[in-house]
This record gives sequence, structure tokens and C-alpha cells, in this order.
Amino acid sequence: MSGDHIHAEPTNFFRKHVFSVDHKVIAKQFLWFGLVWLGIGGIMAMLIRWQLANPGDPVPVIGSFLFPRTGGVIDPATYNTLFTMHGTIMIFLGLTPLIIGCVGNWAIPLMIGARDMIFPLLNCLSFWTVFAGGCVGFYSLFVPLGATEAGWTGYPTLSTTVNGLGSGETLWAIAVFLIGASSIMGGINYMTTVIRLRAPGMTWGRLPLTVWGLFLTSALNVLFIPVIGSAMLLLIMDRVFGTTFFVPASIMQGGGGGDPILYQHLFWIFGHPEVYILILPAWGIIGDLLSFFARKPAFGYRAQVGAMTAVTVLSAVVYGHHMFTTGLSAMLGESFMLLTMIISVPAEILFFSWLHTIWRGNIRFTVPMLWSVGVIFVFGLGGLTGIYCATIGTDIFLHDTYFIVGHFHLTMAASALFAAFGAIVFFFPKMFGRMMSPLLGKLHFWLTIIPLVSVFCMMFVMGYAGMPRRYYDHTSMEFLASLQHMNKAATHMAFLLGSAQLIFVFNFIKSRWFGKPASTNPWEVGTLDWQTETPLPHYNFKDIPTVVTGPHEFSHPALPEGRDWISMTEELPSA
Amino acid sequence: MKLHTKMMQRLTSLWTSGITRASLGLAILCGMAPEALAGGKRWGPVPFASDFGYRFEDLFWLITWLCVGSFSIVVIMILIPSVRDRYKPGRKAHFDHGASLKDKRLATVISAATFLVLDAWVLVIAMTDLREAWWNIPESEEAGVYEVEVLAQQWAWNFRHKGADGKFGTADDILQMNELTVPNGRSVSFQGTSKDVIHSLFIPAMRFKKDFNPGDINSVWFKPITAGNYTILCAELCGYAHYQMFGELHVLESDTFDNWAADASELGVAAYDSEDTEARWAWDWKE
Amino acid sequence: MTSETSMRRSTTLIACLATLAFAALASFRGDSAPAEATLEEHAEEQAADEHGAPAEAEKPHMRAPIGVDLYVREDAWLRAPGPEWFKKQSDLQPGRFTFNEEGGDGEGEWVDAQNVYRLIYDEEEDVYAYWSWAGPEQLTRGRQDFLQFCSSCHGIDGDGYGRSGQWLRPSPRSFHQSNFKFTKVIQPLPTDAALMRLIKRGLEGTPMLPWALSDEQLTDIIQYIKYLSPEGEGWRDPFTGVGDVVESGEDTWVGKEEYAIERGKRLYHDPSGANCALCHPGYVNPSALGKLLGDDSVKARESYYLPVLKDSAYEVQGQPVKIMPPDFTWHQVRAGTTTQDLFETIASGIKGTAMPQWKGALTDEDLWALAHYVESLINDYKGKPDARAEFMKGLREAK
Repeated sequence: MSGDHIHAEPTNFFRKHVFSVDHKVIAKQFLWFGLVWLGIGGIMAMLIRWQLANPGDPVPVIGSFLFPRTGGVIDPATYNTLFTMHGTIMIFLGLTPLIIGCVGNWAIPLMIGARDMIFPLLNCLSFWTVFAGGCVGFYSLFVPLGATEAGWTGYPTLSTTVNGLGSGETLWAIAVFLIGASSIMGGINYMTTVIRLRAPGMTWGRLPLTVWGLFLTSALNVLFIPVIGSAMLLLIMDRVFGTTFFVPASIMQGGGGGDPILYQHLFWIFGHPEVYILILPAWGIIGDLLSFFARKPAFGYRAQVGAMTAVTVLSAVVYGHHMFTTGLSAMLGESFMLLTMIISVPAEILFFSWLHTIWRGNIRFTVPMLWSVGVIFVFGLGGLTGIYCATIGTDIFLHDTYFIVGHFHLTMAASALFAAFGAIVFFFPKMFGRMMSPLLGKLHFWLTIIPLVSVFCMMFVMGYAGMPRRYYDHTSMEFLASLQHMNKAATHMAFLLGSAQLIFVFNFIKSRWFGKPASTNPWEVGTLDWQTETPLPHYNFKDIPTVVTGPHEFSHPALPEGRDWISMTEELPSA
Repeated sequence: MKLHTKMMQRLTSLWTSGITRASLGLAILCGMAPEALAGGKRWGPVPFASDFGYRFEDLFWLITWLCVGSFSIVVIMILIPSVRDRYKPGRKAHFDHGASLKDKRLATVISAATFLVLDAWVLVIAMTDLREAWWNIPESEEAGVYEVEVLAQQWAWNFRHKGADGKFGTADDILQMNELTVPNGRSVSFQGTSKDVIHSLFIPAMRFKKDFNPGDINSVWFKPITAGNYTILCAELCGYAHYQMFGELHVLESDTFDNWAADASELGVAAYDSEDTEARWAWDWKE
Repeated sequence: MTSETSMRRSTTLIACLATLAFAALASFRGDSAPAEATLEEHAEEQAADEHGAPAEAEKPHMRAPIGVDLYVREDAWLRAPGPEWFKKQSDLQPGRFTFNEEGGDGEGEWVDAQNVYRLIYDEEEDVYAYWSWAGPEQLTRGRQDFLQFCSSCHGIDGDGYGRSGQWLRPSPRSFHQSNFKFTKVIQPLPTDAALMRLIKRGLEGTPMLPWALSDEQLTDIIQYIKYLSPEGEGWRDPFTGVGDVVESGEDTWVGKEEYAIERGKRLYHDPSGANCALCHPGYVNPSALGKLLGDDSVKARESYYLPVLKDSAYEVQGQPVKIMPPDFTWHQVRAGTTTQDLFETIASGIKGTAMPQWKGALTDEDLWALAHYVESLINDYKGKPDARAEFMKGLREAK
């Protein structure tokens, strides 16, 4: 907090670029790491879609390289591995590093006016732990007896040695454990940084919403990741040391033993907050971006913060809605249904605020703005379909069908991904000193949102028609074969969605090295991160700024003609 | 570089023209058209054949219309400013923090409306449905209840009926694999467990599913109202051949069923090996 | 500064190394312990914990199996696919496989990248034995696939007593016995091709589903299954016959199916014909039996309309298992319901059960007639409760 303690910039290559403790370098490391895994997870999704549309056909071009033993055909075991790893990778190695690792590391110190995270070494360790987790997860694909096949939820007894004797599942659990450890380190670091390192004048009421979102997410990370950590440890012990925490004795032969449902409780106590871990930063980011580009103050700032906090608290007490069909007692089921329904109230306040933020604004439809509006759209779709899943009467039929797949992809996957894309494009000029191409960005946006919504809305229809998820081949029985046309349509749209991401890859790489050089504040916003030089000096702020204005004072009537924004370090002119 | 800039400008103007965007959207939709237009396909669930099936359909469509209504409001509130409030140099946005008493009141009213319309309405119906249907598992003593024990395994369904003597675990039990025959118009009550991993009994036409966990017994029931053959699926990932774990439900009219059950029980006795103690699985019905 | 830097660096490195070491340890665990020993030890430990002394009642499959060895270290001589395969290979690559033509008997070896194939002639028995050599790599691949895909029912040791196989009747095949029921071959042991066909088709009405594995994987698994035969038995006995697949030839009754069914019906019930009704149910009224066969001295057995539970060669954990001959109007037959499938099943018999091999005992014409008759029973009554009830009423009332 003292303004004069500035570390010297490291000169050694390893200290500067590899084991750096600088939050900006770590943010970029998380960015590249997340994008690579997003690509791998995306390719897996394409393979899954290929198999569903053309069951048992060899994958063209890359098939014989990826699956040499079967001549390019995805066999059922590989298919199970693909959707398991797709889920694990996208959640833990794709979205989490992007939206929490990258955006968090980049935005928190800069937006609150700090020179670095409060625990820089822990920050470095956090990245290299998730990196190790990624390596272990990737290595698990190549061990004897097959990789993990138990779904990203890893339900015992399927994930214990009852089903698979190989080390793939064990390594998967180790990978999840390591990634979790990384998130805990990150969470502690973010929370402490926000609490201790805010610049003078940066009160809680002046924190940008992005920081609020990340702060609340960090709280969830620190509180709930240990739960999945313990679940993973117990699972590893069951698999490696022969304990029976989750392996029950047979009902007919009596005796003691473990309980597979215990794992489901542990998993979902973490698993449901995990949804909000991904979505809270997204909400924070779009709360800011909508205000920045509508050139209007964030409508109901306090209400938004309150709603996000309410969701954070509620997220801990609704997890049972993932277990409505497991034989949960009627009373628990009804309680969880009620609590889950209550989440629609804070969610509605957020929608109310976002929609009023853009109402009567002066909207600049830049690429980050498009993504933010996209989040409102897809999260609206996903959130409302959540009502079907929360209501036991409908969930009893829709549970474990494609309806659920459509629902959670729209809520946590698409919304978090859109916010991550928005944030990347938004922070890109400050990160790399260059602008991303708006033309390609807009093309990417439209070619992403249209197929994405088509794919997942198609899945609602499939789910309502009774198609269970995680089936290798829907044509093997008459009942599902009559729905195959929808699978084909969804696959076509998914391929379009997948290929549209190449535009982003091209745009990202081209703009990184050949993009138009950016000015210091190209978006004309007032938060502290944009009041710095480009490129950023190692120490961010030579003098720690003093904050005197809120983050969203756009189009203030007192501002002079021709200017609709004001820096957080400037006093508002008296009207 | 100059050529490059020029080309980018061309592309930009092409992109901004409405015709380009409209045709792009159309092209994407056309990608789905061949499948959509092909005939003889199913777009929804099979008609329900259980007495509580209508409850699912009613609730599903109630929620659907509520969602359509709410989502329309969201879309309209996105579309209007997107068209009306696009950036114009020199124009200032309406400055409003949304913190006035009026805004707070509005937010409260909308919250209350959301809770009452979206949540409470659905909740009340759902609770009634659960108590009257899905959770209203018939007691053994009730007349006409037909009881079946289910043992799921990788990758098959084992069903056990009481047989002629009305007791589970005796010589005349009827054992079925991947096939289940039940009488029409009687409440069919299941208790089930699993040998190995978690399975989930899903009969789409009957509008219910229930997980059967190893080491525990779960109960579920339904009452068929239409005789016929229906598909039984496994809805919980259970390993390699999860997708092949399906069976068939035969709902027979009661006369036919009685004949069937008598024959089945007799064949059960014929197949019973009293020395083969390893082959026993059954439990006393859990009340 | 330097010491601080190096300390930080070493901390990070140690964390990464520890992670990888843990991962490596976990992935290679069990590398050293053979399966049987570990399982037995484990079972004994468990039993000792609970009862103070080792008890027989403890079933290894009830525990989470740990420390299973994934690797096979021994080579094995196993029965090769059969003489035709040898003939084909020597035709394809002349010179690679050399017959010792001296004295008219063949002996020789053929080697490819992974395997050695050997032809042996036993003078005393006057038979050829076709051996192939499966190396540890192939057996290991086979064992790994077996553990991944088959062991949940067939047991980790291949003893037919996996966790999902318990209480199943008929029980999953124990590979410690070299009997196979539905491989449709004439000789005691099926060829590789016959086993592969069986695994790919699955057995209807059982949890043995059609397996979507590649031919390469199946070949490895089959070599491993053969390797599970006890030493000197089955495939590991050089002079047990590896059979030819039953050749169905042409259906001799095309266009005359009604006559085939009629003839099949008589053969089915005739004690001097196939006498199927000895174990399978009789499908004529006992009082009408004499009329059908034209011999009034023929008497129906007791409970003529029910099948008779028969002893078999199969056992589960030492417990003999009985097999129920199917009632064709009721039970699902395992190996296909087309005329050809039925012909092949009847002709080859079902090894290890009371169902003998009929090829040779009956003419092909009669076998086809039986196949047609059984098919007509299945088509007319199976899955048709009303029709069957009506039919059975007729059979019963004569008693």
C-alpha cells in the first residue's frame, strides 16, 4: 500500500516470461493456456457431434491420426472419454483460466489501482499448479485401460474400480484436485488483494462491477473448492488404496460399506457454486461493459452488487436440485426446489439493471458490447429454461436428457464464454498495445451466436422428446432413431460454430502482432486501468492514484460539451 | 498496406449492409432446413401412457408460455435501444444511476411479480403434482397394486415379479430381463437397486425416471392407462454400453396379463434350481 | 535478492515435481503385484479384519479390486485359427511358411512381425496341430482390453464371477473352462473367427451386447481369452480339435416351407427322430402325439408343455449351474432367430449343455426342417401373449 515500494523488473528470461510473479504476465499466461485448452475442448466437442450425427463412421481427415486402433472410428469408450474430458477441460482448463485467471489477474490490480497482486509468488504458483493439472489431465488420456469414462461429474461407483481398473480415472481426479488447489490459491489472492490493496478513495461502492464479480467468485472458490478437493481425495483413496468411501456393500448380502450418494452431495456442494464461479465474473464484466458502451451509468449499481451477493449466498443452498432423481427425500426435494426458484429473483434484478443500463443510452456497438448483449440473450434463454430443471415435476422427465445439456451450455458455458470473449477484446489494447479487428470481431460474434443458439435450442427439443444424454449412438433403437434428424441438424450448426472460432484465432494472432496500435484509452472509459500508459510499465502506476469519482459516471450533465466520460481520478465539475 | 486498408474498407461496407447480414442469417438457417423439412420425423415426446403423464405435459407447457412471455420482454428491451439508441456523435445518453426511490419501487414490484408468476405459480402446481402423483407411492395393502423388484446391472435390467404365491424370493417368481410385462390400469410399484454402478430407470412414455443406486433401494411407481409396448431406457451414465441398455415395457390388458402371469410363474418354477443358492437375489419389500 | 529468487524458483519446481511424481506413482501402481496374489491377500486381510481369521465366504469381487496387474509377461503357445488359415497364409506369401513335405506329413514354421506360427504332426494320434505364438505384448494388450471391457461380468481373473455377473443365470462364461456355447463350430474349440463373430453379435436377451470394438482389439482379447485356458487344456493342449464353422449350405426347403414345418414338427416330437421334446416343451397335445407320429405307443413325458431344467458342464465358483432349454414360444433364443441362425445352432449344438451336436446325426434336410419349425414357433407365438395363451390352452386341456 505504500506508494514507494517498487520492485525492479526482472531481466532473466525465466523470471520475466516463465516463472514470472508479475500479474500482467501471469494474466497473459492464463490467457494463452485457457485459449489452447478451449481449442482442445472445442475439437472434442466437434468429435462428439460427429459421432452423434454419423454414428460409427470414421472421423474424416484427423480420425486415423487420433484413433489409429479403430481406423478412425470413435468407439464407445473413447466417446465416453471425449464428453468427460470435454466437460472437465472446458470448465476447469478453458473457462476458469480465461474468465478468472486471465481477467482476474489483469483487471483486479489495474482496476483497483495496485502495483501487483498482494501475494505475487502465490499467483505464480497458482498458474503453474493449474498447468501441472492440465498436464496430468492430458497424460491421463494415454494410459492403459483407457482414460476417464465417468462423465465430468465422476459419479461413483462408475468412477471407482467397480467399473474401471486403469489409472486414467485416478489421474483425472488428481488433475481436478490440482486445478482446484490452483483456484483456491487464486481465490485467496484475489480476495486479499481487493480487501487490502485498493487505492485511496477506491471505496467498496466505487469498485467496478468486474472486480465485484471476481471478488464474489473468489469467495466461492475459497469456500467450496475444498469440498471437491476432499471428494477427489476420497475417490483417489478408493481407487488406489482400496478404501470404500463410495463403494457400497451389496444390498442383498448386507454388511457395511460406503455410499455413492455421499459423493454426489460433496460434488454438488461444490458443483453448483461452480456454475456461479463461472457466471459471477461474467455478470460483473457485462455490468461494466454495458455501462461503458451505452455511455450511461450502470443502472442500479448497488442493486446489482446486492443481487450478485445474494446469488453467491444462495448458490450454497440449492445444490440438491442436481439430485432430484437420486432418491432424495420428499422434504429435501421440495426445499431445494423452493430455494432454487428463489434465485430467479436476484437474477431478475440483474436483467432489470442491465436492460435499463442500455435503455436510452448512446450505444456504441463495439465488439465487447455485442458480446455483452449476447450474454443477456443467451443467459436469458438458459436462465429461463432453468425453471424446468428446478421444478421436480418437469425435471423428473427432463433430468439427464439433452434438455439439461442445452440448459447448462447456455447458462454457464455460453454466457461465461461470451463474457470472456468480450473481456479479451476489451482488455486487448491494454494487454498487447494493439486493437483487435472490429470487422472480424463482429463476424465472429454473429457466426458464433446464431449457430450456438440453434444448437442448444435444438437440444431443448431433443430433451423434451426424451433423448437421454451421454448416449454413444441414438440410432440403435427405434425410439431414438426417429429423433436422429435433430442430431444431424445440431451437428451441422455445431460445425459452423466450431469453424467460426477460427476467425477469432486468426483475429487474435493477427492483431497480437500486426494489429492497429492502440491509444492509451481507446474505449474512453474512466476506470483506473485505462488511465495508465500503453504499454504498461512493470509497476503499473508510478504513483498510486487517488480515486475521487465512481467508475460509471458517463454522460454526466456537468461534463463539458463533446465529452461523455470522466476518469475516476478526476473530480466531477460542479454543475 | 494501402491496398489492404482499401480492401478492409470494402469488406466493412459490405458487412454493414443489411442485405449481407440478412442473407448470412438465411444461409445459416438453410443449413438446418434439409433435416427440418424431411418427413416422418418425431419432434416431440411420444404420447403419455401413464395416469400422471398429463401433469408433466401441463406443467411443461405452463412453464413454456411463462418463459416465452418473459423472454419476449427481454428481447424487446434489447431490440428497442439497439435500434433507437445507437451511437450518434454529439448526443448525450440519459444520465441515470437508477438509484431513485421510483426505480427501487419498480425493481421491487418486478421482483415480486417474478416471484409470484414465475416461481410461486409453478411451485404450487409442482408441489400438488408431486404429492398427488410422483411421490404418492401406493402402499402394498392398497388394492390392485402390482409390485416389481428391479435389479439393474451393466448393461441390463433384471425384473422380478412375485409370481403366483404373492411373495418375493420364492420358486415361482417371474424373472424378466430387459422386458417388463405389467397389467394395464393397475398401479405398478417398483423397488430397485443396482449390482454395480448407478442406473436410472427411465420410461419416457410414462413420464418418470428414478436412479437405482448400488447399496440402496429406491422406490418409484406409475399407473399405465394405455396397453401397448413402450421403451425403457437407462438415463444415468453407466459405462461402455450405456447406450445399449434398453428394454421394452409391455402393458397388457388384465385378462391377457393374468394368463401371461400364470404361464410365467409356471415356467419360473420349471427353471428354479433349489441347489443353486448363488443365483438368489430378492429382498423383502421395504415399506 | 538472489537467495530469495532461488528459493522461490526451487519452491515452484518442487511443487511441480511432487505433482508429477504423485501422478506417475498413481498411474503405475500395481505394476509389480500379480493379480491373484493381491486379490487373495486382500480378501484374507478383509476377512481377518472382520472375523479374526480368514474365511472362505469372502468373495474377492465384492471388494474394490486394487493392485491388479495390467501386464502379461509370459509368451504362450495357443491354438491357431486352424488349417485353412495356414493354407491361406502359405498361398499368400509362398516361401514364408514351409511345409515339410517329406513323408507326406507337414511340419514347419511361419513368422511375421509379431507372431510365430507352427505346424506340428503327432504320429501317434495322426493329427496336425496348428500353433501360434502370442507374445507378451499382444497378451498384455488383450489383458488390458479384457480388464477394461469384459472384467465387470467375466471377472478380473476371467473366472466368470465379476461384480455385474453375480446372480446371472446362465452365468457369464468362465474362461478357466474351455467350453463355449454359441460359437457354432463342429469341434470342441471355436476358431478365432467364430469367437469374433460371437462377440460382435452378442447374445440376445443377455447383458452380452454386440460389442463395437475394432477387429484388432477383438483379436487381442481373443488371444488373451485363449491364454486363460489352464495349462494343457483347451487352446493350450496341442491336440484338442479347433473346429470348422458349421456350413449351412442352401436351404433345401425354399418354396416348400409348409412341408418343412410339418416335417420339423414330427422330428421335434419323435423319440426316434430328434426328440427335442425330451427337454424342450412339447408343442402338441399329448393325446394327439400318437396321431402326429403315427405310432400310438409313444407317450408324452410328464409336464409335456414345460421345458426340463438340465445339468450342464458349467459352474460358478465350483457350484454347478443348470441350464433351462428354451421354450421357443416364450424365451429369447440367444444366437439369432433367422432360419440360418437356427440351423447353425441346432447343427453345432450348444457345447457343455444337454444340447448335442446334430450335424451328422441328422441330414441337412432334416436340420433345415427343424430350423423352419422352430422359427415358425417363434414367429407365431413369441411376444404375442393372446395367441400363445390360446395355443397353450389347447395343449393343457388334454391332460
